[in-house]
Amino acid sequence: MKKGIYRNIALVTTAFAIAVITMMGVSWWQMRKATPLKTEVMETLRQLSDTNADNETLAEQVRELDLLSRKAYFTQESQLKKGGWILCAMAAVIAFSLRMYYKDTKQLPDKDLDPIDEWLTKSRARRYLGWGAGAIVAIGLIVVLANGVKEKRLADDNRLTDLQTNRLTDDSSESEPTTELSSDSLEGDRSTDQQAGRLADQQKSDSLEEKSDSLKVLAPPPLPKLTWNGFRGTGGTGRSAARGLPTSWNLGSGKNILWQTPVPRHGYNSPVIHGRNIFITGADSEKRELYCFDLLTGELLWTAAATGIAGSPAQMPDVSADTGLAASTVATNGKQVCAIFATGDILCTDMEGKRLWAKNLGVPDNHYGFASSPLMYGGTLIIQYDNNDASRLIALSASSGRELWSKSRKDKIAWSSPILAKVGGQQAVIVMGNPAISAYKVSNGEELWRVECLSGEVGASPCTADGIIYAASEYATCVAIRAADGETLWEASDCLPECSSPVATKDKLYVATSYGAVCAYDASTGEVVKQHELTTPFYSSPVIADGKVWLISNSGKCYIFSAGKEFRLITSFDTGEQTFATPAFTDSMMVVRSDKSLYAIKKK
Amino acid sequence: MKKEKRLHSPMERREFLRTCGSLIAGGSLVGLGGVLGSKASAVEGEMMWQIDPERCLQCGRCETECVMRVSAVKCFHANQVCGYCDLCGGYYREGVKELNTAAENMMCPTGAIKRRFIEEPYFEYTIDEALCTGCGKCVKGCSSFGNGSLFLQIQQELCLQCNECAIAKVCVSGAIQRVPVGTAYKLKDHA
Amino acid sequence: MPEHSFAATILPAVARFPKPDFTSGYQYPTIVHSVPWETFWSWVDIGLLVVMMSLVAWAVHRRRSRGVVVGVSIVSVLYFGFFRTGCVCSIGSIQNVVLALSDSGYKLPLTVLLIFLLPLVFALFFGRVFCAGVCPMGALQELVNVRGWRLSRAVSWALGIIPWVYLAFAILYAATRSQFIICRFDPFVGIFRMGGDMGMIVFGVLLLILSVFVGRPFCRFLCPYGVLLGVVSRVARRKVEVTDSKCINCRLCHHACPVDAIREPYEAKASDGRGTGALTTALYLLLLPLLTVGGGLMLQSQSDTLSLAHRDVWLYAQLTADEQPDVLTAEVEAFHEMGRSMDELEASVREVKKSYRLWSALAGGLIGFVLGCKLIRLSLKRTRKTYEVEPSACVACGKCFNYCPLKKSTISNT
Repeated sequence: MKKGIYRNIALVTTAFAIAVITMMGVSWWQMRKATPLKTEVMETLRQLSDTNADNETLAEQVRELDLLSRKAYFTQESQLKKGGWILCAMAAVIAFSLRMYYKDTKQLPDKDLDPIDEWLTKSRARRYLGWGAGAIVAIGLIVVLANGVKEKRLADDNRLTDLQTNRLTDDSSESEPTTELSSDSLEGDRSTDQQAGRLADQQKSDSLEEKSDSLKVLAPPPLPKLTWNGFRGTGGTGRSAARGLPTSWNLGSGKNILWQTPVPRHGYNSPVIHGRNIFITGADSEKRELYCFDLLTGELLWTAAATGIAGSPAQMPDVSADTGLAASTVATNGKQVCAIFATGDILCTDMEGKRLWAKNLGVPDNHYGFASSPLMYGGTLIIQYDNNDASRLIALSASSGRELWSKSRKDKIAWSSPILAKVGGQQAVIVMGNPAISAYKVSNGEELWRVECLSGEVGASPCTADGIIYAASEYATCVAIRAADGETLWEASDCLPECSSPVATKDKLYVATSYGAVCAYDASTGEVVKQHELTTPFYSSPVIADGKVWLISNSGKCYIFSAGKEFRLITSFDTGEQTFATPAFTDSMMVVRSDKSLYAIKKK
Repeated sequence: MKKEKRLHSPMERREFLRTCGSLIAGGSLVGLGGVLGSKASAVEGEMMWQIDPERCLQCGRCETECVMRVSAVKCFHANQVCGYCDLCGGYYREGVKELNTAAENMMCPTGAIKRRFIEEPYFEYTIDEALCTGCGKCVKGCSSFGNGSLFLQIQQELCLQCNECAIAKVCVSGAIQRVPVGTAYKLKDHA
Repeated sequence: MPEHSFAATILPAVARFPKPDFTSGYQYPTIVHSVPWETFWSWVDIGLLVVMMSLVAWAVHRRRSRGVVVGVSIVSVLYFGFFRTGCVCSIGSIQNVVLALSDSGYKLPLTVLLIFLLPLVFALFFGRVFCAGVCPMGALQELVNVRGWRLSRAVSWALGIIPWVYLAFAILYAATRSQFIICRFDPFVGIFRMGGDMGMIVFGVLLLILSVFVGRPFCRFLCPYGVLLGVVSRVARRKVEVTDSKCINCRLCHHACPVDAIREPYEAKASDGRGTGALTTALYLLLLPLLTVGGGLMLQSQSDTLSLAHRDVWLYAQLTADEQPDVLTAEVEAFHEMGRSMDELEASVREVKKSYRLWSALAGGLIGFVLGCKLIRLSLKRTRKTYEVEPSACVACGKCFNYCPLKKSTISNT
């Protein structure tokens, strides 16, 4: 009798326990890893209420749903907890009643027991062990072999793709420069480049793949056709058509480093590339100099010193250590190259280093140091000369130094550099100042439009893409202006740069800040679509090339992001030296000026 | 009393082997105990898990990876570091349009941050621990737009002190370390 | 280049907003620190461990009463299980001890060392009294075991190598600081702390249901600490016996043992092929070093793949993979955000891989060695005149006591 009671208790409790487990299981499955307010419905509702800010009913709906989901979350938590304890209690009851039921039942052997053959049992056990171990080893071998085959196939595929990419990059006739300039004076240079390139190409395509290595040695290296004529590229767009760039290099190990050379004098300006020439400047209290290095060997071809210039100050102006006397990047058009220093001296030479002219614009009253980089458009040299004493936009003839026009500006001091953009069909120069962004006609300096939206210290330069001008400055704003008429399309304040200038494509605007955030804005709405918190400062500007955004931090760590739909960080690596200048890009090569040296990167 | 010349009866042999075995086993245990015991310190005693707020990247795993249903990781507030601002980066969500307590404007999914007006223009923010799930959203908001006075830390009264912390195993920045119980609680303080 | 005039290097900890200037006499609230379990509790654990093991030893060797074992089991499940949530347990302490041996910088608490050593010391003297009712997992299985389904002995002997494999890998992963797999794959801890990986909880519940019918499945086929206790028990000073009188071979206890530790009388006849038996033993003796070295080399050859269990190695593999996934994993993003250098990661990976080469060889060697020893043992013939208890398998539960008609005590318990 008693046994019967225990059995019944056990059975009933088991049935209840199964019911509780099922309920809890279902509830857990529904809410597994779900956290309040994270559901898709909530997110879409939130977004809707964002765009329809005045819609009260929508907001109410959002709040109600939120309250419900919060309630659900907390009730479910307590339910699960209680359920757990109930189950434990039930299990104890079941265990107890089962024990009571089976108390005193003994597992007695049958009357007739066969004699134990232990040897047989042991032999069987040995056999199971042996086979089991063998089976596991066999399976392991198969898995290892299968992986080995897969890896070998992958390696072969990679080798093939590498060969193909090499052929593509050597065929430089396929790459098109996407400069916005169409000046006459450039045609001559480009055709010579093209001829040389085509010669080299023919020699390349004649060679078979197996003999390609030996023939590469014989053929002269193709002249890179892509130019990088000024600060952040030709026209200041920050974009390059360069391809085949290595995604990793290191000065310490020499990985992918073509050459490295020290620069005679220090400067924060960025390298400029035209043909086989790299132009940079360096200055100290002793001398201000313009250097030309060979792109393929790194050899210092010539030096031009800014000496004997009328009006040049005997005493160097006070500049901050972070700026130096050579903060401005040079500008070139393939015929002349012009450099400006914080003393107000401009020096212009030809491609061989022979001085063409030099003048002093008046020593600037600039508490950090004059830093705006000049801009070359055809034969015109444009300089943004915004200082404490006066602000002007100056246009000089690149060949003679004669002043073409000069416009006085009411803006305060700035350290930004102008860029080129088309405004309603006319070639214009876009200038960022405090407080306005203005567009001036290149031919005569006529102001086309002016948008007052900035404030504070303007250190970053504007950029343009697809007919829209983007400008951003820390503690001020980030603004998108339609180039054609100067209408403001959107303004944002999320992620603002201090020194680094943004770069844009028609979909996105990329900004690097001094506090380590690198963001991608949606170019049409101004919303930050993705932000990377890299907690390291960036002074150099990001560049878009080969479908990627290239950015080097002050500490010398290079970050490469994808420039497509997704702004994801592809890789990051230490270059080996601190870098404050923006790198220059050309066909399958990059030139970087680190704090200590100048070096070229090419896939080895 | 006959002396058995053949001492090697199976039983005696077995006994002898067993004694040898016991001595070896006993010796190894004593040896192991000695080697490790001399290094182990009773003073150091217990260990506990602790988050380093400087390394924490607020990835959100503290909320979901703890073995307990409600995570032992809670948000703590270092009032000394707080700016007491009206527009609090941890209280209000990013891009908030109106500064009110409407659900869609709150950063915290469970409404665990409570605020109290002190004086113009300062507000005091406190965390209701019972509601906090350790998701880290407010911490992220505070550190990106704020003084970083909100931070995640393991609530030691709730923590089970597992031998291997399930969150530490997957912490993306390796911010959770096992430290002796006496170690100072890692809190944020004004520099 | 303009100089940053404000505090521009803005890191999260630096104050963006200034400290408020309270005029109303507001006082900052005091921060209350919470403390974890005090050290005191760990010593209570040790004390209780010693008391309970002594109690079981007395009950099993002297009193011959199962009731004490059941009582101790209940206390263990309630205290070590639900109250202390089953952590740190003796089984898991293997990992801490191994880590202390391999990494001189690791601080092993004395209590953890004792939790590891004490059951072994008791086993040396009294057999597996820890398993009887003191281990919370064993206790749990003990309390629910009511049926006695039997497994083929050959199968259960062969399966007995699994705990050794588990032990070998647990040692490997603990010594290389990769993971505590014993903690991760602990089936019952999820029940004790009412939370954890749902998969393991489900497995634990299923195992518990199984242990209603089959005795102690975890202890026999999975527990890595049990095999250590078993080895020590084989040379224990006192062995658990079915009866303290002389066995009369009444055969009543034939099926009594839930873990199949009772060995029947057996005549190792010469006609059984004693010669072949000796030959087999000799063969396995020769095979033993081969298996040990072979096992070590085989596992070592895979040490690079095994090392992926270490988070640094896995992260490095992700970062250097030929194909980068579309969505970066949180670890890779964190790597970049934290500004960790590849060089530092590479150095760490080299260290870890070196450590793996050593420990995988040891683990493989252990598995090979144990396999060889098992084969040797299974080729030996033992003559038994009466029913004996196999000390390495016996968990000292005392179930067999009530089967023996010669039992001195008349108290009968389930």
